[in-house]
Amino acid sequence: MTKIKIATDWLAACAGCHMSILDMDERLVELLDKIEITSCPITDLKHPPKDGVTVGILTGAVNNTSHLEVSKMMRERCQVLVSLGDCSVLGGVPLMRNQVDMEEALRRAYIETESTVDGFIPRSEELAKPIPARPVDQVVKVDVYLPGCPPSAEAIHYVLSELLEGRVPVLKDQVLKYD
Amino acid sequence: MDKVVHIKINGHHIRARAGQTVMEAAKGAGIDIPSLCHHPAVKPLGACRICLVEIERQRGLQPACTFPVMEGMRVETESPKVVAERKFLLELLFSEGNHYCPFCESSGDCELQALAYRYGLDHWVYPNPGEPKAVDGTRQYFIMDHNRCILCRRCIRACSELAANNTLGVIFRGAKTKVCADGDVPFGESSCVTCGTCLQICPTGALIDRQSAYAGREAQVERTKSVCMFCSVGCGTEIITRAGRILRVEGEWEEHNHGVLCERGRFLPFKEQRQRIKTPLIRQDGRMVPTSWEEALWAIAQAIKSTSNKKIGAWTTCRTLNLTLSEFVAVFLGKINANVGVLELTLARFKLPLGRFGASLDDLLAADTILVTGADPLSDHPVIGYHIKRACSAGSRLVLVSDNNSEMRRFAHKTFPLGEMEKAVQFCLKSNSPVVLYGEDTPLLEADKLITLERKARFIPLFPESNGYHARTLGLRANYAPSQMETVYLLLEDTTLSEEKIKQAREAKFLAVHASYHSPLTEVADVVLPALLWYEQEGSLYNLEGKKVAVRKAVPFPEGIIPENEVLTQLAVRL
Repeated sequence: MTKIKIATDWLAACAGCHMSILDMDERLVELLDKIEITSCPITDLKHPPKDGVTVGILTGAVNNTSHLEVSKMMRERCQVLVSLGDCSVLGGVPLMRNQVDMEEALRRAYIETESTVDGFIPRSEELAKPIPARPVDQVVKVDVYLPGCPPSAEAIHYVLSELLEGRVPVLKDQVLKYD
Repeated sequence: MDKVVHIKINGHHIRARAGQTVMEAAKGAGIDIPSLCHHPAVKPLGACRICLVEIERQRGLQPACTFPVMEGMRVETESPKVVAERKFLLELLFSEGNHYCPFCESSGDCELQALAYRYGLDHWVYPNPGEPKAVDGTRQYFIMDHNRCILCRRCIRACSELAANNTLGVIFRGAKTKVCADGDVPFGESSCVTCGTCLQICPTGALIDRQSAYAGREAQVERTKSVCMFCSVGCGTEIITRAGRILRVEGEWEEHNHGVLCERGRFLPFKEQRQRIKTPLIRQDGRMVPTSWEEALWAIAQAIKSTSNKKIGAWTTCRTLNLTLSEFVAVFLGKINANVGVLELTLARFKLPLGRFGASLDDLLAADTILVTGADPLSDHPVIGYHIKRACSAGSRLVLVSDNNSEMRRFAHKTFPLGEMEKAVQFCLKSNSPVVLYGEDTPLLEADKLITLERKARFIPLFPESNGYHARTLGLRANYAPSQMETVYLLLEDTTLSEEKIKQAREAKFLAVHASYHSPLTEVADVVLPALLWYEQEGSLYNLEGKKVAVRKAVPFPEGIIPENEVLTQLAVRL
């Protein structure tokens, strides 16, 4: 049986959602009989393969020009895009930055934070440029939403199991949480 | 008997009462129609539109909380059209303001969040948050975060309908609409009386209690139904605790106070700074040192036994619960026939109706004329004050007989000086359902004139202290005179005595004090016994309606302290 290919990536995220994926523990090992994780932020292969995957998972909000590229690449290379976690689904904590001026936010983060000595705002041409934060579905079409901060391992397992069965997951009860 | 109306909700035949709303009729039949702005304690408004239902032959969807039932009506509460509309409304509510759950204090207890879960909202279409809104932290006990407000106006209705204070309203229109105080001044500088009813009724995390924020969700806390002990109104409360610690106090919606408390009842328990007495203390070489119960009780028993009963004085506060008060009388009056009394006045001078001849707070709300004399309810019995204001805004006439310039004057229909009681009495005689509230400051001569109203009016005695009613029925009087005694026992609970009274007490040869907290009095006593606090013991008291109400133990009491009534029993054994 060919395994279903899954790729994950993160945008403006705290890594908590990926921790929650790992929290599936032995169920993740069982899933590996049916799925192949082609790439994810904590493996050597970072980008979804050119020949595509069935399921793409994005965590985190779109927060800079690099995130735009990462989201678009994932969308182009996957059949079903799962937006996973509050930041990805709703914008989450990064969205709060929209309420202050961008320069002010950068100054506070890189220069004024109490632990910073001789801070400066990095402005290299090679770096991505910050843009107003937004949920993933404002950049690319999302097929499945799984909110949660982070979504529980049970919720992630449920969503993947439903997709493997060819069903669109319907979230309710303990699987649907915003915190 | 109200007329019966036959309607059909979700295919079920339901008998409703004419005049009921669709929501009430559905609730009576066990059908839940969700809502955010509706609350049984305040008038329906139809602000949030979540309760929209499909009604046959009605154009569009109609709000169930305001729509009256009609014969033959057919209602669908969860049809695809209704559910789609509710989801859309929820998306709009989530898109306005900042309803991001992970860092909200109310997550887990939020009615907005619960509805989004119920309708499986896994994302919302419109971007949020928009423009940041203000957070008002100017009030001492709770914070208003406008970003979390859904403009349901429950707080506004609680303020005007329940506390009758009319502080809250809305300002601006459209997306800029916000809840404001007194036309938009900081809440802390407004006419707010800090009763906290708005805090209790808010469905989201817009109003946050500083004391209990993030300290425990509903599923993690315990609720104990009890009674407030800060005045004789005896408001029904729920004490919310976690791991033996009080988090906050809420008003009980089903009791005579209709969910309303005052600043003291809701917030004062958390301002206690005094040091708790943990063991019995005895005077040794001029200092108070810890001792055993056995030794402390023996010392008191010896002092009592070596004094003639005419020279023994025992006084208790009226803040004592029934059982302790009765035991106090049984021991000091029944067993040793000493001089007994209470520390506070108990309206004992007046020959006016009490108890089952008295009025309830509901009578007060229904009265067409309210006569208040010798008391300042707004400052001493605030929840009575709020009820008077409620009655006044519903059309009752307040007749004030007072020489003081109290805040009540603003609401008075007529004000008479104390000397003109007969004019007030005449006014009451001409009305249909007068209620008379009297306090200790009524001159006896004037109070006697009120007896004329005995058959016409119902009376509410405003006792100065919480269990004043029971103290009075036990015949205890405020006859404090310890300086004429040789041996004195004072049961203070958590009250304090004035410097003058402490001086008088110390003139006795032997002074025993039974109290919860260290104070200048316990410093000068010969023996000190530790007392429990009212929320640490099971008991009861009589409120000013003359109704016996249960005061419940909400937290375990400190190890080593014995309840006061048991201490008195043990003392009696040694006499």
